[in-house]
Amino acid sequence: MTPIVECLVAFLFGSVAGLLMQRSRFCNTAALRDAIMFKTYRNTKAMLVAMMILTVGFTGFMSVGAGHPLQFDVGLNTFAGLFLFGIGMVLAGACTVSTWVKAGEGNIGALWALIFTFVGMFLFSLVWSASWWPPAPQTMTGQINAPALQLGFANAQTLQDKFGIPAIVFGLAQTAFLALLYRGILRRERAQHAEHEKHQREHQKKKAARAAAVEV
Amino acid sequence: MEFFRKTLDPIIALAAIAVLDIFMFLLMGAWTVGGGETMMTGLMAQAVLGDELDRIPFWSIVFPPHADYWKIYISLGMLFGAFVGAVASKEFYLRVPRHLSEWVLITIGGLLMGFGIRLAYICNVSTFFGLMPEMNLGGYLAMSGIIAGAWVGSLIYKKLLERDA
Repeated sequence: MTPIVECLVAFLFGSVAGLLMQRSRFCNTAALRDAIMFKTYRNTKAMLVAMMILTVGFTGFMSVGAGHPLQFDVGLNTFAGLFLFGIGMVLAGACTVSTWVKAGEGNIGALWALIFTFVGMFLFSLVWSASWWPPAPQTMTGQINAPALQLGFANAQTLQDKFGIPAIVFGLAQTAFLALLYRGILRRERAQHAEHEKHQREHQKKKAARAAAVEV
Repeated sequence: MEFFRKTLDPIIALAAIAVLDIFMFLLMGAWTVGGGETMMTGLMAQAVLGDELDRIPFWSIVFPPHADYWKIYISLGMLFGAFVGAVASKEFYLRVPRHLSEWVLITIGGLLMGFGIRLAYICNVSTFFGLMPEMNLGGYLAMSGIIAGAWVGSLIYKKLLERDA
Protein backbone atom coordinates (compact mmCIF):
# COMPACT_ATOMS: atom_id res chain seq x y z
CA MET A 1 0.00 0.00 0.00
CA THR A 2 1.20 3.49 -0.77
CA PRO A 3 1.46 5.95 2.14
CA ILE A 4 -1.54 7.89 0.80
CA VAL A 5 -3.76 4.79 0.84
CA GLU A 6 -2.51 3.94 4.33
CA CYS A 7 -3.41 7.43 5.53
CA LEU A 8 -6.88 7.15 3.96
CA VAL A 9 -7.53 3.75 5.54
CA ALA A 10 -6.31 5.11 8.90
CA PHE A 11 -8.60 8.15 8.59
CA LEU A 12 -11.57 5.94 7.75
CA PHE A 13 -10.87 3.64 10.71
CA GLY A 14 -10.40 6.64 13.00
CA SER A 15 -13.66 8.23 11.82
CA VAL A 16 -15.72 5.11 12.50
CA ALA A 17 -14.01 4.58 15.87
CA GLY A 18 -14.56 8.24 16.80
CA LEU A 19 -18.22 8.08 15.83
CA LEU A 20 -18.82 4.86 17.79
CA MET A 21 -17.03 6.24 20.84
CA GLN A 22 -18.93 9.50 20.71
CA ARG A 23 -22.25 7.66 20.53
CA SER A 24 -21.36 5.19 23.30
CA ARG A 25 -19.50 7.65 25.58
CA PHE A 26 -16.77 5.05 25.90
CA CYS A 27 -13.66 6.25 27.68
CA ASN A 28 -10.51 4.31 28.56
CA THR A 29 -9.84 6.58 31.52
CA ALA A 30 -13.28 5.84 32.93
CA ALA A 31 -12.69 2.11 32.36
CA LEU A 32 -9.89 2.19 34.94
CA ARG A 33 -10.82 5.21 37.09
CA ASP A 34 -14.47 4.28 37.67
CA ALA A 35 -13.55 0.71 38.57
CA ILE A 36 -10.99 1.99 41.11
CA MET A 37 -12.84 5.02 42.51
CA PHE A 38 -16.54 4.26 42.17
CA LYS A 39 -16.67 0.46 41.68
CA THR A 40 -18.70 0.91 38.50
CA TYR A 41 -17.76 -1.10 35.44
CA ARG A 42 -19.70 0.14 32.39
CA ASN A 43 -16.55 1.03 30.45
CA THR A 44 -14.37 -1.68 32.00
CA LYS A 45 -16.66 -4.39 30.60
CA ALA A 46 -16.55 -2.90 27.09
CA MET A 47 -12.77 -2.72 27.25
CA LEU A 48 -12.52 -6.36 28.34
CA VAL A 49 -14.83 -7.51 25.53
CA ALA A 50 -12.68 -5.68 22.96
CA MET A 51 -9.51 -7.17 24.45
CA MET A 52 -10.97 -10.69 24.27
CA ILE A 53 -11.97 -10.32 20.60
CA LEU A 54 -8.61 -8.80 19.76
CA THR A 55 -6.59 -11.44 21.59
CA VAL A 56 -8.29 -14.23 19.64
CA GLY A 57 -8.01 -12.28 16.36
CA PHE A 58 -4.42 -11.14 16.71
CA THR A 59 -2.94 -14.37 18.07
CA GLY A 60 -4.98 -16.36 15.54
CA PHE A 61 -3.46 -14.48 12.62
CA MET A 62 -0.04 -14.42 14.27
CA SER A 63 -0.16 -18.25 14.37
CA VAL A 64 0.01 -18.24 10.57
CA GLY A 65 2.48 -15.36 10.40
CA ALA A 66 -0.07 -12.74 9.28
CA GLY A 67 -0.55 -9.23 10.64
CA HIS A 68 1.74 -6.43 11.75
CA PRO A 69 2.52 -6.80 15.46
CA LEU A 70 4.39 -3.97 17.16
CA GLN A 71 8.10 -4.58 17.41
CA PHE A 72 10.30 -2.80 19.89
CA ASP A 73 12.17 -3.53 23.10
CA VAL A 74 10.40 -2.97 26.39
CA GLY A 75 11.71 -2.40 29.88
CA LEU A 76 11.49 -0.25 32.96
CA ASN A 77 10.55 2.75 30.80
CA THR A 78 7.41 0.91 29.60
CA PHE A 79 6.16 0.55 33.17
CA ALA A 80 7.31 4.01 34.30
CA GLY A 81 5.90 5.79 31.25
CA LEU A 82 2.45 4.27 31.60
CA PHE A 83 2.55 4.90 35.35
CA LEU A 84 3.00 8.64 34.68
CA PHE A 85 0.35 8.37 31.97
CA GLY A 86 -2.08 6.72 34.41
CA ILE A 87 -1.75 9.57 36.90
CA GLY A 88 -2.05 12.12 34.11
CA MET A 89 -5.18 10.65 32.56
CA VAL A 90 -7.07 10.64 35.87
CA LEU A 91 -6.05 14.24 36.62
CA ALA A 92 -6.94 15.40 33.11
CA GLY A 93 -10.13 13.30 33.08
CA ALA A 94 -9.30 12.03 29.60
CA CYS A 95 -6.87 9.76 27.77
CA THR A 96 -5.41 9.77 24.28
CA VAL A 97 -8.70 8.59 22.78
CA SER A 98 -11.17 10.68 24.70
CA THR A 99 -9.14 13.88 24.25
CA TRP A 100 -9.74 13.60 20.49
CA VAL A 101 -13.35 12.45 20.85
CA LYS A 102 -14.28 15.08 23.44
CA ALA A 103 -12.45 17.79 21.47
CA GLY A 104 -14.66 16.79 18.51
CA GLU A 105 -17.74 17.36 20.72
CA GLY A 106 -16.55 20.90 21.49
CA ASN A 107 -14.88 20.24 24.84
CA ILE A 108 -12.27 22.98 25.25
CA GLY A 109 -10.77 21.26 28.32
CA ALA A 110 -10.03 18.16 26.21
CA LEU A 111 -8.42 20.33 23.55
CA TRP A 112 -6.29 21.94 26.26
CA ALA A 113 -5.24 18.46 27.51
CA LEU A 114 -4.30 17.57 23.93
CA ILE A 115 -2.15 20.68 23.53
CA PHE A 116 -0.30 19.88 26.74
CA THR A 117 0.12 16.24 25.65
CA PHE A 118 2.03 17.66 22.68
CA VAL A 119 4.02 19.92 25.02
CA GLY A 120 4.80 16.92 27.27
CA MET A 121 6.04 14.98 24.24
CA PHE A 122 8.25 17.87 23.20
CA LEU A 123 9.66 18.14 26.73
CA PHE A 124 10.47 14.44 26.63
CA SER A 125 12.29 14.90 23.32
CA LEU A 126 14.57 17.39 25.11
CA VAL A 127 15.16 15.01 28.02
CA TRP A 128 15.87 12.11 25.64
CA SER A 129 18.32 14.20 23.66
CA ALA A 130 20.29 14.71 26.88
CA SER A 131 19.95 11.20 28.37
CA TRP A 132 19.63 8.99 25.23
CA TRP A 133 17.44 6.64 27.32
CA PRO A 134 15.42 4.55 26.63
CA PRO A 135 17.46 3.12 23.71
CA ALA A 136 16.54 4.37 20.23
CA PRO A 137 14.83 1.81 17.94
CA GLN A 138 18.05 1.50 15.91
CA THR A 139 19.98 0.22 18.93
CA MET A 140 17.29 -2.18 20.17
CA THR A 141 18.55 -5.77 20.20
CA GLY A 142 15.45 -7.76 21.13
CA GLN A 143 17.47 -9.28 23.98
CA ILE A 144 17.76 -8.48 27.68
CA ASN A 145 19.94 -5.40 28.10
CA ALA A 146 20.48 -4.95 31.83
CA PRO A 147 22.57 -1.73 31.77
CA ALA A 148 19.81 -0.01 29.77
CA LEU A 149 17.09 -1.59 31.99
CA GLN A 150 15.60 -3.34 28.96
CA LEU A 151 13.92 -6.76 28.87
CA GLY A 152 14.01 -7.14 25.10
CA PHE A 153 11.16 -8.27 22.87
CA ALA A 154 8.62 -11.07 23.34
CA ASN A 155 5.06 -11.66 22.13
CA ALA A 156 2.74 -14.50 21.10
CA GLN A 157 4.84 -15.01 17.96
CA THR A 158 8.11 -15.45 19.87
CA LEU A 159 6.31 -17.86 22.24
CA GLN A 160 5.21 -19.90 19.22
CA ASP A 161 8.76 -19.94 17.83
CA LYS A 162 10.24 -20.92 21.18
CA PHE A 163 7.83 -23.63 22.28
CA GLY A 164 6.49 -24.83 18.94
CA ILE A 165 2.92 -24.30 20.17
CA PRO A 166 0.66 -22.13 17.94
CA ALA A 167 0.26 -18.53 19.16
CA ILE A 168 -3.52 -18.95 19.28
CA VAL A 169 -3.19 -21.46 22.16
CA PHE A 170 -1.55 -18.77 24.30
CA GLY A 171 -4.15 -16.33 23.02
CA LEU A 172 -7.01 -18.57 24.12
CA ALA A 173 -5.45 -18.91 27.56
CA GLN A 174 -5.29 -15.12 27.88
CA THR A 175 -8.88 -14.80 26.61
CA ALA A 176 -10.03 -17.31 29.23
CA PHE A 177 -8.33 -15.21 31.91
CA LEU A 178 -10.02 -12.04 30.63
CA ALA A 179 -13.37 -13.90 30.55
CA LEU A 180 -12.89 -14.85 34.20
CA LEU A 181 -12.28 -11.19 35.04
CA TYR A 182 -15.44 -10.28 33.14
CA ARG A 183 -17.44 -12.89 35.03
CA GLY A 184 -16.06 -11.57 38.30
CA ILE A 185 -17.29 -8.09 37.40
CA LEU A 186 -20.77 -9.40 36.50
CA ARG A 187 -20.98 -11.15 39.88
CA ARG A 188 -19.90 -8.02 41.67
CA GLU A 189 -22.51 -6.00 39.79
CA ARG A 190 -25.22 -8.48 40.73
CA ALA A 191 -24.16 -8.28 44.38
CA GLN A 192 -24.22 -4.45 44.20
CA HIS A 193 -27.67 -4.58 42.65
CA ALA A 194 -29.00 -6.94 45.34
CA GLU A 195 -27.51 -4.72 48.05
CA HIS A 196 -29.11 -1.66 46.49
CA GLU A 197 -32.55 -3.35 46.34
CA LYS A 198 -32.23 -4.47 49.96
CA HIS A 199 -31.53 -0.88 51.02
CA GLN A 200 -34.50 0.35 49.04
CA ARG A 201 -36.83 -2.22 50.60
CA GLU A 202 -35.64 -1.30 54.08
CA HIS A 203 -36.11 2.36 53.29
CA GLN A 204 -39.68 1.69 52.07
CA LYS A 205 -40.45 -0.33 55.20
CA LYS A 206 -39.18 2.47 57.48
CA LYS A 207 -41.21 5.00 55.54
CA ALA A 208 -44.36 2.87 55.84
CA ALA A 209 -43.73 2.37 59.56
CA ARG A 210 -43.33 6.12 60.07
CA ALA A 211 -46.55 6.80 58.14
CA ALA A 212 -48.39 4.20 60.25
CA ALA A 213 -47.04 5.77 63.47
CA VAL A 214 -48.30 9.20 62.42
CA GLU A 215 -51.75 7.82 61.65
CA VAL A 216 -51.94 6.17 65.09
CA MET B 1 -32.08 8.26 12.91
CA GLU B 2 -32.32 6.09 16.01
CA PHE B 3 -28.50 5.79 16.12
CA PHE B 4 -28.15 9.50 16.83
CA ARG B 5 -30.92 9.64 19.42
CA LYS B 6 -30.01 6.88 21.83
CA THR B 7 -26.73 6.23 23.60
CA LEU B 8 -25.01 3.21 22.13
CA ASP B 9 -24.07 0.32 24.42
CA PRO B 10 -20.26 0.66 24.80
CA ILE B 11 -19.89 -3.14 24.59
CA ILE B 12 -21.40 -3.09 21.08
CA ALA B 13 -19.31 -0.06 20.11
CA LEU B 14 -16.06 -1.59 21.34
CA ALA B 15 -16.82 -5.01 19.82
CA ALA B 16 -17.33 -3.31 16.43
CA ILE B 17 -14.11 -1.31 16.84
CA ALA B 18 -12.26 -4.51 17.79
CA VAL B 19 -13.36 -6.25 14.58
CA LEU B 20 -12.20 -3.25 12.53
CA ASP B 21 -8.96 -3.17 14.52
CA ILE B 22 -8.26 -6.77 13.41
CA PHE B 23 -8.45 -5.55 9.80
CA MET B 24 -6.10 -2.70 10.70
CA PHE B 25 -3.71 -5.23 12.26
CA LEU B 26 -3.70 -7.24 9.04
CA LEU B 27 -3.23 -4.21 6.80
CA MET B 28 -0.89 -1.87 8.68
CA GLY B 29 -0.86 -2.37 12.43
CA ALA B 30 -3.16 -2.17 15.45
CA TRP B 31 -5.03 0.95 16.57
CA THR B 32 -2.69 3.48 18.15
CA VAL B 33 -2.75 7.15 19.00
CA GLY B 34 0.54 8.07 20.68
CA GLY B 35 2.71 7.58 17.59
CA GLY B 36 0.56 9.90 15.50
CA GLU B 37 0.51 12.50 18.27
CA THR B 38 4.31 12.38 18.47
CA MET B 39 4.56 12.92 14.73
CA MET B 40 2.19 15.90 15.02
CA THR B 41 4.36 17.29 17.82
CA GLY B 42 7.41 16.90 15.57
CA LEU B 43 5.69 18.56 12.60
CA MET B 44 4.54 21.48 14.76
CA ALA B 45 8.01 21.84 16.31
CA GLN B 46 9.50 21.81 12.82
CA ALA B 47 7.08 24.50 11.67
CA VAL B 48 8.05 26.71 14.62
CA LEU B 49 11.76 25.97 14.96
CA GLY B 50 12.71 25.16 11.33
CA ASP B 51 16.29 23.86 11.02
CA GLU B 52 16.86 24.54 14.72
CA LEU B 53 15.00 21.25 15.32
CA ASP B 54 18.16 19.40 14.17
CA ARG B 55 19.74 20.43 17.46
CA ILE B 56 17.38 18.03 19.26
CA PRO B 57 18.60 14.55 18.20
CA PHE B 58 15.31 12.87 19.22
CA TRP B 59 13.64 14.31 16.11
CA SER B 60 16.30 13.03 13.71
CA ILE B 61 16.97 9.65 15.36
CA VAL B 62 13.73 8.42 16.98
CA PHE B 63 10.93 10.32 15.24
CA PRO B 64 11.91 12.22 12.06
CA PRO B 65 8.74 14.23 11.26
CA HIS B 66 6.77 12.98 8.23
CA ALA B 67 3.31 14.24 7.30
CA ASP B 68 2.45 10.99 5.47
CA TYR B 69 2.64 8.85 8.63
CA TRP B 70 -0.66 6.91 8.76
CA LYS B 71 -1.01 7.00 12.55
CA ILE B 72 -1.59 10.78 12.42
CA TYR B 73 -4.77 10.21 10.42
CA ILE B 74 -6.32 7.81 12.94
CA SER B 75 -6.36 10.69 15.44
CA LEU B 76 -7.70 13.20 12.90
CA GLY B 77 -10.33 10.64 11.92
CA MET B 78 -11.43 10.23 15.55
CA LEU B 79 -11.78 14.01 15.86
CA PHE B 80 -13.83 14.10 12.66
CA GLY B 81 -16.00 11.06 13.52
CA ALA B 82 -16.76 12.40 16.99
CA PHE B 83 -17.60 15.82 15.53
CA VAL B 84 -20.02 14.28 13.01
CA GLY B 85 -21.59 12.13 15.75
CA ALA B 86 -21.97 15.09 18.10
CA VAL B 87 -23.46 17.39 15.46
CA ALA B 88 -25.85 14.73 14.12
CA SER B 89 -27.13 13.97 17.62
CA LYS B 90 -27.26 17.67 18.57
CA GLU B 91 -24.67 17.15 21.29
CA PHE B 92 -22.09 19.57 19.94
CA TYR B 93 -21.59 22.61 22.07
CA LEU B 94 -18.59 24.36 23.55
CA ARG B 95 -17.81 23.16 27.04
CA VAL B 96 -15.28 25.30 28.86
CA PRO B 97 -13.83 24.30 32.27
CA ARG B 98 -15.09 26.86 34.77
CA HIS B 99 -12.62 26.68 37.63
CA LEU B 100 -8.94 27.56 37.57
CA SER B 101 -8.25 24.30 39.45
CA GLU B 102 -9.69 22.31 36.51
CA TRP B 103 -7.40 24.10 34.06
CA VAL B 104 -4.40 23.38 36.31
CA LEU B 105 -5.28 19.67 36.64
CA ILE B 106 -5.83 19.30 32.90
CA THR B 107 -2.51 21.01 32.18
CA ILE B 108 -0.57 18.77 34.58
CA GLY B 109 -2.47 15.70 33.36
CA GLY B 110 -1.75 16.51 29.71
CA LEU B 111 1.96 17.04 30.38
CA LEU B 112 2.22 13.73 32.28
CA MET B 113 0.39 11.88 29.49
CA GLY B 114 2.63 13.28 26.73
CA PHE B 115 5.84 12.71 28.69
CA GLY B 116 4.74 9.21 29.75
CA ILE B 117 3.79 8.10 26.23
CA ARG B 118 7.20 9.00 24.90
CA LEU B 119 9.10 7.53 27.82
CA ALA B 120 7.28 4.23 27.31
CA TYR B 121 7.32 4.38 23.47
CA ILE B 122 3.67 3.41 23.77
CA CYS B 123 0.26 4.93 24.57
CA ASN B 124 -2.71 3.51 26.45
CA VAL B 125 -4.63 2.59 23.29
CA SER B 126 -1.71 0.50 22.05
CA THR B 127 -1.48 -1.05 25.50
CA PHE B 128 -5.11 -2.23 25.62
CA PHE B 129 -5.83 -2.81 21.93
CA GLY B 130 -2.38 -3.63 20.50
CA LEU B 131 0.28 -4.89 22.88
CA MET B 132 -1.98 -6.85 25.26
CA PRO B 133 -3.81 -8.80 22.50
CA GLU B 134 -0.45 -9.47 20.79
CA MET B 135 0.67 -10.80 24.17
CA ASN B 136 3.70 -8.53 24.02
CA LEU B 137 5.73 -8.52 27.22
CA GLY B 138 5.49 -4.73 27.13
CA GLY B 139 1.70 -5.01 27.33
CA TYR B 140 1.90 -6.56 30.77
CA LEU B 141 4.46 -4.00 31.94
CA ALA B 142 2.37 -1.15 30.54
CA MET B 143 -0.87 -2.54 31.97
CA SER B 144 0.66 -2.82 35.46
CA GLY B 145 2.02 0.70 35.08
CA ILE B 146 -1.26 2.27 33.98
CA ILE B 147 -3.29 0.52 36.71
CA ALA B 148 -0.79 1.64 39.37
CA GLY B 149 -0.81 5.14 37.90
CA ALA B 150 -4.62 5.32 37.73
CA TRP B 151 -4.75 4.19 41.37
CA VAL B 152 -2.30 6.89 42.48
CA GLY B 153 -4.11 9.42 40.30
CA SER B 154 -7.44 8.45 41.89
CA LEU B 155 -5.95 8.90 45.38
CA ILE B 156 -4.73 12.38 44.46
CA TYR B 157 -8.08 13.18 42.87
CA LYS B 158 -10.02 12.01 45.94
CA LYS B 159 -7.80 14.13 48.20
CA LEU B 160 -8.48 17.17 46.04
CA LEU B 161 -12.24 16.52 46.05
CA GLU B 162 -12.27 16.18 49.84
CA ARG B 163 -10.32 19.43 50.21
CA ASP B 164 -12.75 21.28 47.96
CA ALA B 165 -15.79 19.82 49.73
